[in-house]
Amino acid sequence: MTLPWWNWHGTALPDMKGAVSITIPSHPKYLSVVRALTSRMAELADMPGPEVDKIRLAVDEACSNVIKYAYKGDTGRKIVVKFRVIRTGFEVVIEDTGEKTDPSFIAGRDLDDVRPGGLGIHLIKRAFDVFGFDEKKKKGNRLRLIRYKRGNNEN
Amino acid sequence: MKIEISDHKGKKVMALSGEIDMHESPYLRKELMALVGKKTTPLVVDFQAVSYIDSSGIATFVEGLKGMMAFGGKLQLVSIPAGIMEIFSFSKLDKVFEIHGSVDDALNS
Repeated sequence: MTLPWWNWHGTALPDMKGAVSITIPSHPKYLSVVRALTSRMAELADMPGPEVDKIRLAVDEACSNVIKYAYKGDTGRKIVVKFRVIRTGFEVVIEDTGEKTDPSFIAGRDLDDVRPGGLGIHLIKRAFDVFGFDEKKKKGNRLRLIRYKRGNNEN
Repeated sequence: MKIEISDHKGKKVMALSGEIDMHESPYLRKELMALVGKKTTPLVVDFQAVSYIDSSGIATFVEGLKGMMAFGGKLQLVSIPAGIMEIFSFSKLDKVFEIHGSVDDALNS
């Protein structure tokens, strides 16, 4: 099951009660810390091994995008990543206080168009069923990602 | 990430190890593009000890390949672990890069 990306539009924000959260400086050297925690949390959510790897990469890509696009390479800002194991799967929320995400960025490049860049967004969308920005956040971005559990015969 | 460059039968092999992410890609790009700038061909990149790669790492190799193609050079990727090969396949770059099972396979190609 893959849902298109969507924006929160007049919908209440999810309650992140029970979430594990980490705040990192917006420096690429801390991405490895986020990756390690992402893998462990995805495992706690009973995600299968290959999917854990995809989820780890997706969260890494989302945080990299915050550094590149929201903070324009400024390494002195903060990124908050919240993880929550939910009954139906695994939820990740990534928050920054940088520039609002340009909607055109969300499309990524055509995968047949071989050039550097534009791949990260595809790697995020393939790992998560829900990809949405909170339009109500006044300053910065709040990206919500949800990966649902699959049946035994689905990946 | 570590980068070791060696000569095998007169050809350059760039052996990578560790994780290639947004933090490490600039270093990789500097080393790779320096060899491309010297028109080092063929250049074999050994992925055997690479445990992780993100889109910035992939983009670095796409840039390297384009630089090689500009002068008719060859960039050969070898010993790519399954988890990383899956990313090349997903992004359809397995059809673009010359990929071999081992350094010897590439050197003998």
